[in-house]
This record gives sequence, structure tokens and C-alpha cells, in this order.
Amino acid sequence: MNSKHLACGIVALFIVLLVQATMWVQKASAAMQKEAANAQSSEKTASEALGQGRVQLADLRRQSANLITFLKTWQPYFQTLDNPQSAEINFTMKVKESNLVNLSQRFEPVDVKGNASVPKAMRAILIFEDDYVRLLNWLGQIEASMPTVRVSSTHFTKGTRANDLRMEVAIDQPLIKK
Amino acid sequence: MQISGRKIDDFKFDRKGITPPLPILLRLVPLLFYCSIAVTIILSVIYLIEYRLSVQKRDSHTAQAESLAAETQEALKHCTGLESQIKIATDIESWVSGSRPLQPLIVEIARSMGPRATIVDLRLDRDPNAPAQLKLAIKLGTDSTKQLDFTLEKIAGQKYRAFSPQQTLGRNELDYIATLVWQDPSARSVQPSPPNEQ
Repeated sequence: MNSKHLACGIVALFIVLLVQATMWVQKASAAMQKEAANAQSSEKTASEALGQGRVQLADLRRQSANLITFLKTWQPYFQTLDNPQSAEINFTMKVKESNLVNLSQRFEPVDVKGNASVPKAMRAILIFEDDYVRLLNWLGQIEASMPTVRVSSTHFTKGTRANDLRMEVAIDQPLIKK
Repeated sequence: MQISGRKIDDFKFDRKGITPPLPILLRLVPLLFYCSIAVTIILSVIYLIEYRLSVQKRDSHTAQAESLAAETQEALKHCTGLESQIKIATDIESWVSGSRPLQPLIVEIARSMGPRATIVDLRLDRDPNAPAQLKLAIKLGTDSTKQLDFTLEKIAGQKYRAFSPQQTLGRNELDYIATLVWQDPSARSVQPSPPNEQ
């Protein structure tokens, strides 16, 4: 092997290096093209997921439109009184304003079964003895002016005077979960 | 001037140590080298352009995918919020439907009394497990069931239907027990009348 063979070998090595470099660049380009294709695929998947999410949201909105309207109408009334103290004060004020003969009043918190949003209520147990018209009017006025309250129990018996009634009533003020 | 014998010898004879020429095939190697340089440059430029375009494409798709994913998350967030509101609305509806005013019913029962009948005792209790159902227990001071029939008509007029009725007729007293369920086919359960202003 002489110097010409050696020079030829070195040039051939350079050729191999150039081919390697070209292949490296080609490989990098192909890898990047693959990444771009993956990104395109991800975009397509994300687009489909968004479409599904939008359809789900639209369906839910359409199905719940009445309930949401209902909620918007009623929720402010439930949020007016949301703690036991204010509920108790409110009941006391209503009883005082009524000018009815109130024999007893007591309050107790009660659990509401199967209602996660209204888990508790403040129950007012009131006993009156007064003219039956006034009593029934008061009860009607309470149910109209406090639309969220629930009269859970009423018991009417004769009063001591001719037109009098004895009314025992349990009224629940819902305490909405904050 | 004297010239050394060795130098004279160099002019006279072929140089010693000159390497023989390469074979034909190996003489193509330099040509191949120049060609490979040209091809490498051309291909590398093409691949680099493709690389740059792919990078741009990847970045564009990635940004778009991220934007879409964010929008999807937003939509799902709205769905979750809406489901939460639906749950609250259902619970509130459940409370409201179990809180129908009793005063009109009590007034109707009181007004249904004829001249020879009285209400001795009237009790209305809501079932704690089903508050929309009312347990009615009434004791009438009458010796006739006609009064009870008339009262039940009035109760039906208030759109309450009596289930599991039991009545006991004693001396001048009539006991009646039933479960009342409010039924109005024309009413939509999710939209009861809005409340009055407090």
C-alpha cells in the first residue's frame, strides 16, 4: 500500500462522512415530520374532544333550561335566610307582628332527609289560641310572604272561646348549604 | 565545476521510488468525492428546508391543540358547573314541591262544614320521607257521612287526592284518616309558580 492508496482511502472516508452527515440530516428531517404528523393527530383528537364537549354542554343546557330558570327564580329567596340565628329572629318578629295570642314558641334545628343542598332547617313550633279567621289569615300570610318555608305540621282544636281555635303549627325555614 | 556522480546518475536513469499509478477504479474516488460534496449540499439544503417547515407545522399544530384542549377544559368546567346547578335546582325543587301552602286546603276544609257539623280536631302532617304527601286526620262532629263526602269534594277541588282512607263513625263523631297527594296533570313539576316578594 503506497501513499496514493492512503490518500484514496482518506478521500473515501470523507465520502462516507458526507453520506453519514446527509443521512443524519435526513433522519432529523424525517423525525421532525413525524412529530408534525403527531401534532396534527393530537390537534384532530383535541378538536373532536372539543366537539363532543360542546355537544354535551349544549345538550345539558337544553335539558336543564327549565331547571336553571327555576333555580334563578327561587335561589335568591333561599339565600335570604341561611343561618339558624336569622331564621329564629325572623320567626320571632313574625309572631310579634301578628298580635296573636301566642301560648308557646320554641325553635329547633332539624335535618332534612335526602336533600344535599338544603341539609338543615330551623323548625319553629308555635302554639296560638285566637280567633280562627285571624289564625288562618296569619298562616296564609306567612306562607305567602315566606315562600320557602314549609308548614310540616298543623293541629287545630277548639279554643276556649266560641270563635277561638288552638293552632299548633311547625314551620320549617330551610337553611341552604353555602 | 564538478558534478557528483549520484546526480548524474539521476538524469540518466528513471527515478527510483516513484509509486505506480492507481488502478482505474480507484481513480474514480476523487471524482466521487466532488460529486458527493455536491449531492450532500443539495440534499442537506432540501432536508433542512423540510425540517424547518416541519418545525413550523409542528409548532402550529401543537399551539392549536393546546388552544383546543383549553377550550375543551372550559366546556367541561361549564358542564360541571351546570351539573352542580342542576343538583341544587333539583334539591330546591324537591323542597318547594314539598312546601305547597296548606292554608288554602285548611280554609277549604273549614268552609266545607255544614250548619250541623263541626271540626273537633284537624291535623295535617307532612311525611318526613315524602314531604309532598300529607297525612290528614280529621274528627268531625257529625253523625252523617254526607258531610265527609262534601269535605272530600272540597279537598279534591284543591287538587289533592286521598289515598288509604280510613273512616270510623262513632256517636256524633266521625274520624277520617287519609294520605293526601297533590296532583295536577296540567302543572309542570319543574316550574311551580314563582314566589311572591318577601
